[in-house]
Amino acid sequence: MNDIDRRIALKFIAEYYASAEFNIFQIEKREFGIGLIKKIDARHLAFDSMEGFRKYLLTNTPLFVSHSTAYYEFPAATPIEKKSWFGNDLVFDLDMHSDGKYGVYHKLEEVKQDAIRLVEEFLLTDFGISKKDILYVFSGNRGYHVHVRDKNYLDLCSDERKEIVDYIRGTGLNYENFFDINESGRIIGPRPDEKGHRGRFARAAITMLEKEPVKLSRVFSKDEIRNNFITGVREGNWSRTSIKDIISRLKIVADTLLLSTVNTDAGVTQDLSKLIRVPNSIHGETGLIAKIISDINNFDPLKDAVININKNEAKCIIFTEDVPEIEFANSTFGPFKKDEKKELQLVVAIFFVLKGSASFCSGQ
Amino acid sequence: MSQLEFCIHYPFTSVAKAALEQSGIAISDRIVELALQRIKTALKEGKVAKSSALHDSEKIENIASYAAARMILGFSRNRFLINAYAVAESKRASDYLDGESDEIIDKVAGEFNIKTEEKNGNLLIPVHIYLKYSPRDVHYRLSNRELANGYVKLKSRHEKIRLIEGAIKKHMEKIPLVKSPPESIKIAAEKLKEFLPKIQRQEISFSLASGEVPPCIEKLLDSLKKHENLPHQARWYLAVYLIGRGMPMEEIVSLYSNLPDYNEKITRYQLDHAKKKGYAVPACATILTWGLCCADCKIGSPLNWQKLGKADRESLLKTGRRI
Ligand code: SF4
Repeated sequence: MNDIDRRIALKFIAEYYASAEFNIFQIEKREFGIGLIKKIDARHLAFDSMEGFRKYLLTNTPLFVSHSTAYYEFPAATPIEKKSWFGNDLVFDLDMHSDGKYGVYHKLEEVKQDAIRLVEEFLLTDFGISKKDILYVFSGNRGYHVHVRDKNYLDLCSDERKEIVDYIRGTGLNYENFFDINESGRIIGPRPDEKGHRGRFARAAITMLEKEPVKLSRVFSKDEIRNNFITGVREGNWSRTSIKDIISRLKIVADTLLLSTVNTDAGVTQDLSKLIRVPNSIHGETGLIAKIISDINNFDPLKDAVININKNEAKCIIFTEDVPEIEFANSTFGPFKKDEKKELQLVVAIFFVLKGSASFCSGQ
Repeated sequence: MSQLEFCIHYPFTSVAKAALEQSGIAISDRIVELALQRIKTALKEGKVAKSSALHDSEKIENIASYAAARMILGFSRNRFLINAYAVAESKRASDYLDGESDEIIDKVAGEFNIKTEEKNGNLLIPVHIYLKYSPRDVHYRLSNRELANGYVKLKSRHEKIRLIEGAIKKHMEKIPLVKSPPESIKIAAEKLKEFLPKIQRQEISFSLASGEVPPCIEKLLDSLKKHENLPHQARWYLAVYLIGRGMPMEEIVSLYSNLPDYNEKITRYQLDHAKKKGYAVPACATILTWGLCCADCKIGSPLNWQKLGKADRESLLKTGRRI
């Protein structure tokens, strides 16, 4: 990105920040980090009010702004030991890697479905967290963040948070432990009405039996056998029809339970000093809003997270690489070829420029 | 059980504190001496001796020796001593709890806000409490627990006691700093120096510089340095790894002397055993199920760490991901 590109993009982002709605819980207890070149060039910043924060964004508009998932008495103090930590939100980062710069946008729906499962099946049901303490946020690029603000989880340390992530990803879960063989040789296992991993497993098995029965065994293509087996499972009897090696065959059911898009590697959940994109701020690699989502089921990031100002302004850009066709802000764009010039609505032009696929034409 | 008896068993409770204050007993030289004995036994045997006090005055002294022990440790500010003592005191309390009525168990649990519920014959505990106080041990991994509506099902009363033990230990580890105590306390703290671990990581000649070992081992070494207690699998894995890397036995023993429940005889026995058996370093997948993996190295076995380039290693240690 050259200086002109950056200047135009930042001017646009600043206009958005002038009226953006932020909702930062305990803003004065958070550490902030900003980035112009990298995602975080400087950290240990602090603001004691929303006005102060907005003023900063308008005068020093960054490409990225994030805040700590942690709360501190002295968020600006360094080194970190002097900040006086007193807790962290419980935050999950879900994303997916895929080939090419644009491939991921076709997979965002999948990540969203995982985010919904994370909340519905795990956080609400297993962990008993209440809905009002959970926030869905689009990450602004390749995934979703889920913020949990429940005081019970506030002072958990890193290892304890890792246990939560491992539970959700099913790491260390051995589904074979769900099964026992009783005296009469029956395989006794989980029932679909049970809670937690067990019930989820039984329900997933029934779904698979109903939708793709042969994945488990060819004999299940026969209605009678399949239905008889399912009737057994509903009562926790996994051998009403006896299937050879049924327990090991069920591994593919166990695999569907894993929420592998929940990141453990980068440690967003368990790294207590992590900074996370400020909800409703702009992601500097896309110009999209890291939007707080109120209706997750109908949320479409490439439509709903697009900045909605200066709609009539258009700018000329020149592509610096080939770009595939993409749905963006209710229209279809591309495919574009390298060196192609195009006049596009400002927000669309900025998207391609920030993606590193184009530059603004000179003289603008 | 009499009130005083309860206070002897559980000297960290608010009831015990109140009893002590009411008795008006002063921190005399005798009390400090008893406190020193209390800590020494803890360090040598890994457990604080149960009380055999008969008379009320002796009983009060026993409780006071606990308070004085905390002062000595609070003045010493030594992580190793504090953690080792915490392990020993919590084991003592847990031994007492094993033979106690449910009512007493709940009374001690209440000190730490541990509330369990019985539902349809199941013993349930809030998951955040469970996570805070359960040992980081395969047996207690959340992944293999029944969890619903924010409650974890405990498998036995013993598990409940184990969680209370964890809470006591955490409580003991958070010792208030003591700045200017009576002279006798200062002298006692000085006397504990001979119990300190013989060697710290930085003094080890064998090359274990940062970057030389994978993130999971790095983390375990770091825990040792902070004198945190390691679960069984973690000790075993670290030992097998270090033996595999050719670290001399004496140095491994010295390293393990940083553990708060270090016992030289047992450690030597276990290390010799591991060496003789020639156990192989487990695969990353196994380490993952033990909850000890902390990065996505994609190397199959921790022994392949050396094959990674410098940039990948740095990135893994910093962010948990390869570049
Ligand atoms: S991937 Fe393997 S080497 Fe890396 S941290 Fe995990 S267990 Fe250790």
